[in-house]
Amino acid sequence: MKKVYLKLIACISVILLLASLFVGCTSDKKENDSEEEVSSENGNSAAQEKASEDSEGSEKVVEPGWKKDTSPVTFDWYVHFSWYNYNWGETLISKYVQEKTGVSINFIVPAGNENEKLNTMIASNTLPDFVTLGWWEDGVRKMIDGGLVYSLNELADKYDPYFYEVASPQVLKWYEQDDGKTYGYPNFAVAPEDYDKYEKIPSNQTFVVRKDMYEALGKPDMRTPEGFLAALKAAKEKFPEVNGQPLIPIGLHEFTDTGNYSLESYLANFLAIPREKDGKLYDFREDPEYIRWLKTFRKANEMGLLSPDIFIDKRAQMEEKIAQGRYFAMLYQRTDFVAAQQALYERDPNSIYIAVDGPANSNLDPPKLAGPGISGWTLTMITKNCKHPDRAIRFVSYWLSEEGQRDMYLGRQGETWDIIDGKEQYLPEYAEMARNNREQFDKVVGQDPLWMLGNSLIQMRWAPEPGPAVRQLEEWTYGKAVSYAIYDNLIPPSDSEEGIIASRIADLWGQTLPKLLLAKSDEEFDQIYQDFLKKRAEAGYEKLLAWQMQKLEENKKKLGIK
Amino acid sequence: MRRKFLARRTKGEVVFDIVNTIIMIVICFMMLYPVWYTLVNSLNDGTDAMLGGIYWWPRVFSLDSYKAVFADSKIFRAFGVSFFRTIIGTVVHVFFTSMVAYGLSKRYLMGRKYFMAMGTVTLFFSGGLIPTFLLYRSLGLLDRFVVYIIPAMFNFYNLLIFQAFFREIPDALEESAKIDGANDFYIFFKIIIPLSKPVLATIALFTGVYHWNDYFAGVIFINNPDLQPIQTFLYRVIAETTSVHMLQNMPAGIRTTSVTSHTIRLATMIVTTAPVICVYPFLQKYFVKGMLLGSIKG
Amino acid sequence: MGVKSTASNNATIFCNSKRFFRKLKEQKYLYMMVIPGIIWMLIFNYIPMYGIIIAFKDYNIISSFFEAPWAGLKHFSDFFKDDWFPIIMKNTVGISLLKLVFGFPLPIIFALFLNEIRNSTFKRTVQTISYLPHFLSWVVLGGIMITWLSESGMINELLVNMGILDKPVAFLGEPKYFWWIATISDIWKGLGWNSIIYLAAISGVDVELYESAIVDGAGRFRRMWSITLPSISGTIAILFILAVSGLLNSNFDQILVLRNSLNASSSEVIDIFVYRMGIQSARFSYATAVGLFKSVIALMLLLLANWVTRKLTGKSLF
Repeated sequence: MKKVYLKLIACISVILLLASLFVGCTSDKKENDSEEEVSSENGNSAAQEKASEDSEGSEKVVEPGWKKDTSPVTFDWYVHFSWYNYNWGETLISKYVQEKTGVSINFIVPAGNENEKLNTMIASNTLPDFVTLGWWEDGVRKMIDGGLVYSLNELADKYDPYFYEVASPQVLKWYEQDDGKTYGYPNFAVAPEDYDKYEKIPSNQTFVVRKDMYEALGKPDMRTPEGFLAALKAAKEKFPEVNGQPLIPIGLHEFTDTGNYSLESYLANFLAIPREKDGKLYDFREDPEYIRWLKTFRKANEMGLLSPDIFIDKRAQMEEKIAQGRYFAMLYQRTDFVAAQQALYERDPNSIYIAVDGPANSNLDPPKLAGPGISGWTLTMITKNCKHPDRAIRFVSYWLSEEGQRDMYLGRQGETWDIIDGKEQYLPEYAEMARNNREQFDKVVGQDPLWMLGNSLIQMRWAPEPGPAVRQLEEWTYGKAVSYAIYDNLIPPSDSEEGIIASRIADLWGQTLPKLLLAKSDEEFDQIYQDFLKKRAEAGYEKLLAWQMQKLEENKKKLGIK
Repeated sequence: MRRKFLARRTKGEVVFDIVNTIIMIVICFMMLYPVWYTLVNSLNDGTDAMLGGIYWWPRVFSLDSYKAVFADSKIFRAFGVSFFRTIIGTVVHVFFTSMVAYGLSKRYLMGRKYFMAMGTVTLFFSGGLIPTFLLYRSLGLLDRFVVYIIPAMFNFYNLLIFQAFFREIPDALEESAKIDGANDFYIFFKIIIPLSKPVLATIALFTGVYHWNDYFAGVIFINNPDLQPIQTFLYRVIAETTSVHMLQNMPAGIRTTSVTSHTIRLATMIVTTAPVICVYPFLQKYFVKGMLLGSIKG
Repeated sequence: MGVKSTASNNATIFCNSKRFFRKLKEQKYLYMMVIPGIIWMLIFNYIPMYGIIIAFKDYNIISSFFEAPWAGLKHFSDFFKDDWFPIIMKNTVGISLLKLVFGFPLPIIFALFLNEIRNSTFKRTVQTISYLPHFLSWVVLGGIMITWLSESGMINELLVNMGILDKPVAFLGEPKYFWWIATISDIWKGLGWNSIIYLAAISGVDVELYESAIVDGAGRFRRMWSITLPSISGTIAILFILAVSGLLNSNFDQILVLRNSLNASSSEVIDIFVYRMGIQSARFSYATAVGLFKSVIALMLLLLANWVTRKLTGKSLF
């Protein structure tokens, strides 16, 4: 048998080599061919464009480019979120936009592991016309470095100068690469300056308590460790059970391989821990205030106030428990439990969660919560496989313009919206649908899922009032939100040396955090903590920090901060 | 025949039968209950189901979750794609793999050792997704219906199972046919296939369920929405989003499907699995025959 | 077209005499059955195998497989040196062994006993029901299990009421229970489904054998033991060999939903580790290297199991 295998392997490897050369050659050739095709096409259309522009003469006012050509065109648009679902052409908004601009979109959505799909498309150069993905994704850098996407500047210069009228210069600057070009445009970006212009900039981060219990306990002050523990203890004693199930005194976000969001930057923001100290990046994990609060959580566990459930439950279970009102208090993003809050409100408006002052530092400084940043949420890019880059950039400009924002948010005037009481808003029937039957609204009108190039500062005007169940949560965060934009993209590329260090350290922290909370005593806590610092240093923390410092300097330059 | 057996039932056999029946009933309950739990929860109102505690019967009966699943008109087309893919894919796979398996089951076949070794390697080694993708692209399989069929028409694992069954067939049958001048194709189609219904049904079931449940090919190799199978279409409803980055940066007001409703996920699962579950009883007669009803060779 | 010539190349390596052509003629129909399968494997299995070389390279998806710089055995040594390595090996093998020891025989036993049910309607009903759990997706099932196994879940309620437990236990929070939870839920889900193939084998057993056994006065257990079981031993042997070769595989979907920060020390397995290190962080070469390591071990296990089974029972894969 062995001999057979050896022979076989020898034989096969020869075949393979030949076969792979064959396949490799043909596929390479194909790639080149298709690229050439595209570029020659571009050349042609660019030439035509120039000719047409010349004939039009030199007008000073920049016309929206999309108006030049509204013939039908279809874009394949990849959205890097497996839950995304939108039927272009079936909703009122998409029909209207298609009629107006000629653009039809075929959304390509992965199921299961999103990265698998994206990586395959990158590796085989089969990206569709548009790609939308989170700015933090590794794919962004890969597509730019691999030369798979157009720079927006190039396309705008060539086909649609109007782009510069509607794009925010700060955003373009922020996403500028070393070559001075910008390759993607984000949605919902808020520049640091905007914080001075708009007063109602919210944060997602909240510390919430169950209203009825909190009031029954006499609204205790939970800003100090002592007050915090006493309140949890009192809640547990006074309300041992909720609907026959044990009360969970404090709820947190899901524990993951890399730790727990609630107990990291989230908690640090409540403690108003600065991200920089003495001109250097400052890790909240080294801050005495932070350690003091982690020890408070450890103490809570010792007192039996941390339920094992909080270490085990995933999002679905938490959602269920929030809807039952099983938690007394939570360090939990307000936007992540809207449905559950609504369910609570419908049963008993008094049993909802309200935001109150949470953990604070020794000076009881107000929290500095994370507000929306200049990075926004997702980034949209036009790939070099795009057959109509001219139409693509014009569509982007259209969407970014105020007109586009209005069309994409409200739809056609008279059909879905109108000026009522001097304010642009949805017609009453749709406004009611949005409030009461959100799924139906998304299906018929289709506003929310079209967020690829949404701008929250513009759309703010049209947003319906938040419902009574969630209003207090949002309003509480006004004025407490801070822009942490410059610290946003300090994530090193995952396959670089620093990236591997970062993932090791994240993994290490993910293992350490539960141990810290479950430690039997403060001494044990200190020991585990020291051990963590030691292992972190061994993993190469200094090197990572140096990389991040350098990146931070670049960020500051981009935003003009000294 | 049946009477003969019944007449011979001794006391011990009666006890055996009773105990056996009880064990089977217990197993049935254990198997059925979680399915039942899923079903009743999917039939409950979504908001109410979040409160938990629905064990035996829907508390607030509602078909809303099912309406939500069927709200998307694309689902019916996707059902069609899955249906054709399953039927064609299964027939092609069973026919092709069993044929190769029969040929390879002959120990006197020249070079059999090499072929078997070659196949064994494929059980464990694969080049990974990207080379596969490039191959399909150069073969022109991408975004075509055949990408569901051709790459899934053969599988060495199933070949081994076929072989194990083919080997149980007595050689005498084939030899006498050969003396009568029949060639290997004739023997395979006229003698082997009719004798191998149980294994054909088994592999057909495995393959059919594979085809029905596979969402991966639809994600990676197909971009055309008209060719999406039902599982790809609905998998995203079941999958959870866990990226902390995504949630952290997500602006207020954006809703992800996975956050919407537990009951919709359950309903989705019921809707996608019900059709394939219904197929089973039709295939069942081939493998639950057993001793009482006589054997295939009887 | 490249493929056709490779097939004939193969043939020439095997044997170069006239006897070869005579035999080829004799077996031409068999070859017509086999060759398409061989060609299929060459195209769909073997051509993409050049992808394995990235295990020895530093592959980055922007460059091609061939351009990537060589890395030697770096990824393998990284894997072996990782602090997690001994833990994940222990967990992977531990869970797999439990599944092999309990999960492998149970479907056989179930099939044997199901076969003894006299009422055919009842038998069919039982079988249909038993295979239902196979169709529940782990993502959804895992969610249900987390709820049921929690301190306030129905399993604890049941066990406390029955007096088996003094106070509720967070089953998924204790590393010591994890292997068993993984094994039991896996068996539960696959019992009926995995028994199908044995039922198919049983249905091929010659009825005359039973009749003569009955004449000899053999009881039910006796008949199961000395007729049914030996008749399906070929199927059992093959599935056993294949199961042994899968020792380093784990049920990825299942473990992904059931693991958490408290039970990590007993729930981290190779497949999850590869997913975290390789796929989530896009370290393709690393993931491929670990996959290759797994494949080599699996092939060795297969050959070993095949050899042992052949020595013991005379049955084998090939």
